Amino acid sequence: MRSRALAFGALAVACVIAAVVAAVVAISGARNDEQASEKAVAQARPQAAEILSSGKPFAVFRSVDKGHTETFGRLSIAELQDGKPGAIVPAGPSCARVAFGAGKGICLDLLGTQMDVRLLDAQLKPVTNFTLAGIPSRARLSPDGRWGGVTAFVVGHAYAAPGQFSTVATIIDMKSGKPIGDLERDFTVTKDGKVFDARDRNYWGLTFAGDGDTFYATLASGPRTWLIKGSVAKRRAETIHDNVECPSLSPDGTRIGYKKAVSRNPTKWRFTVLDLATGKETPLAETRSIDDQVAWLDNDHLLYSDGDSTWVVNADGSGRPQVWLRSTDSPTVQENAAATP
Amino acid sequence: MWAVYTIQDSSTLGRARRAAAEGGLRKRVGGTVLLLGTCSLLTDISSEMVSAILPLYLVATLGFSPLQYGIVDGLYQGASALVRLAAGFLGDRLQRHKFVATFGYGLSAICKLGLALIGGAWAGLSAIILLDRTGKGIRTAPRDAMISLSAPKKDLGLAFGIHRAMDTAGAMAGPLIAFALLSAAPDAFHTLFLISFFIAILGFGVIALLVREPPARERVPAEKPDLKAAAKLLKGREFRALTIAGSALGLATVSDGFVYLTLKDQVDFNNALFPLLATGTAVLYMLLAAPLGRIADRIGRARVLIAGYVVLLAAYCVLMVPSAGALSLIVVLALLGTYYAATDGVLMAMGSAHVPEALRGSGLALLGTATSVARLLASVLFGVCWTWLGLQTTIVVFAGALVVAMGLAVRGLRVANA
Repeated sequence: MRSRALAFGALAVACVIAAVVAAVVAISGARNDEQASEKAVAQARPQAAEILSSGKPFAVFRSVDKGHTETFGRLSIAELQDGKPGAIVPAGPSCARVAFGAGKGICLDLLGTQMDVRLLDAQLKPVTNFTLAGIPSRARLSPDGRWGGVTAFVVGHAYAAPGQFSTVATIIDMKSGKPIGDLERDFTVTKDGKVFDARDRNYWGLTFAGDGDTFYATLASGPRTWLIKGSVAKRRAETIHDNVECPSLSPDGTRIGYKKAVSRNPTKWRFTVLDLATGKETPLAETRSIDDQVAWLDNDHLLYSDGDSTWVVNADGSGRPQVWLRSTDSPTVQENAAATP
Repeated sequence: MWAVYTIQDSSTLGRARRAAAEGGLRKRVGGTVLLLGTCSLLTDISSEMVSAILPLYLVATLGFSPLQYGIVDGLYQGASALVRLAAGFLGDRLQRHKFVATFGYGLSAICKLGLALIGGAWAGLSAIILLDRTGKGIRTAPRDAMISLSAPKKDLGLAFGIHRAMDTAGAMAGPLIAFALLSAAPDAFHTLFLISFFIAILGFGVIALLVREPPARERVPAEKPDLKAAAKLLKGREFRALTIAGSALGLATVSDGFVYLTLKDQVDFNNALFPLLATGTAVLYMLLAAPLGRIADRIGRARVLIAGYVVLLAAYCVLMVPSAGALSLIVVLALLGTYYAATDGVLMAMGSAHVPEALRGSGLALLGTATSVARLLASVLFGVCWTWLGLQTTIVVFAGALVVAMGLAVRGLRVANA
């Protein structure tokens, strides 16, 4: 027994030392990265300022290059030339999810089990922030920069009932910098003319039209999902199509790019484009099941990230998906900065 | 868990406290129980570190959708029931509970290392999470058997109470450690899994190196117990009555998740408070598990068990009356924590009294699985009722069912204690 106690003592010492070393390495690494990251952004500032003020289109995304831990997760930008991105320029804060449009930006960051919502100006500088419950999942801005939409993923705890989760889709007034409400609590949603009030309803993936009022999102209940179309001002929405997740409205407002669940499997998707006028669904050339909210590069191309790289694919179902920008995710495109109010 | 002894001197609690202190905890329940408690404490720190941040990791880092998360979480929670039965029996059959339990702890520890090494592949992650839960299923019954075989019969309530208190303490510390690390190093998930692994190995070390197989106290039967013998357990009048009573009560139990959702419906607190609800419940569970176990040993375990369900009924009643805001919230959480402290360990202590030593693992596994399956069913029923009848009516239905189940249980427990 004595030798066993000794062996345990040795094991205990080894484990404690190993755990402490691992923690110290991670924490000091994070500190160094943070400093290096600030430095990289500061150094790239002139370059970023040039792109932001050039009036030319540019893309905003997150840099996720595992080889460059110092800029991992940093909001970054790249100039667009005929839809092709230039060099990656680190330009803003660290985020878990980013979106940009009409000279306004949203950066969602983790804060324990909450998320920090930072609103950015045209120079990608944080102007205001607030916290919402949950984990960052999606972020979008309306084309006119009036509204922001964020989806958080709220989980109780390990003690909660199995398989339970909920999402909260919140609309932000970008003028006042404050959230105006979430779809589940503050909006009336109807399905086939009847108010939809099932207990397990969830909303995610907001996208906005250019009219300053219309929005689209996903409504889910059990394994089923619907596309809803609504009005911010009236705080109402109705279902308009089946089996639509993470919708994204095209710049011309005629089509929705989204994830369609295939073969009755709620976790296997095919990127699809829905024509809002005719209801015609066009599966895109990307055959891998990828979980992302697509973003329109222009009226004919869509962007999405597979976690490693951002890809581009034709909106009419033709061609093959191509890598658009390596080591990035969460892309959104600023079509023409000259149109910024 | 030493905070147990800072409980105020309400007279019975005070007596229980003094009695425990006088005898010396170790002398009273045996070193094995304290070591198993330590092992559970460390293992729960390790596993709750992971489960607290798992949604964060899967959704925020790997980009899983809510539905994918739901499926993984279902795996996480549901994998252990059958394994638990098999492992309980295996411990009896081999007459080596320690060996089986140690294997379970080891398996879960290895899985933490797996999480640290594997990338974001959904199939690999699901497999590891499933194995981790299997490890939990394997260790539960043999460990409870060891507690019941090493503590004196008259102190079983206290022994289980102490174990549950230590276990809960670990479950509370785990998320704190995890969030502290992540706030200092935001993306250090792999480091977190690695630290979780080291803590799990420490827990594994406690059981593998320090815990000894409890010596047989009863005469060991000549033949090794087989499945037939295990199945015969349910033919024993007392044990069957107890299992039926436990299951009936389980069927009328609203799961914590639903209680919290009901509270949310009533009190309308911020979503960010959700994780704290479980902590609130756990604090009282941790503080009261040992004292209530001790009281159960003294005044009768059946009484304390039933009293625990009366407390649960009181919680339902609070949910039925119009909300008094934060006060309702605190009262319900306190009642829920007390209910757990009065029932969970106490039921195992009662079960131990009616199962021969040779079949202790199988018996406790049977009792534990029956009640948890009943609770799972109740959870499904509650969901269905909520959709059909609305929330308030559902609570009333469950309260009514609980009164009926308590009536049944009182009869059943009378049989068991006769």
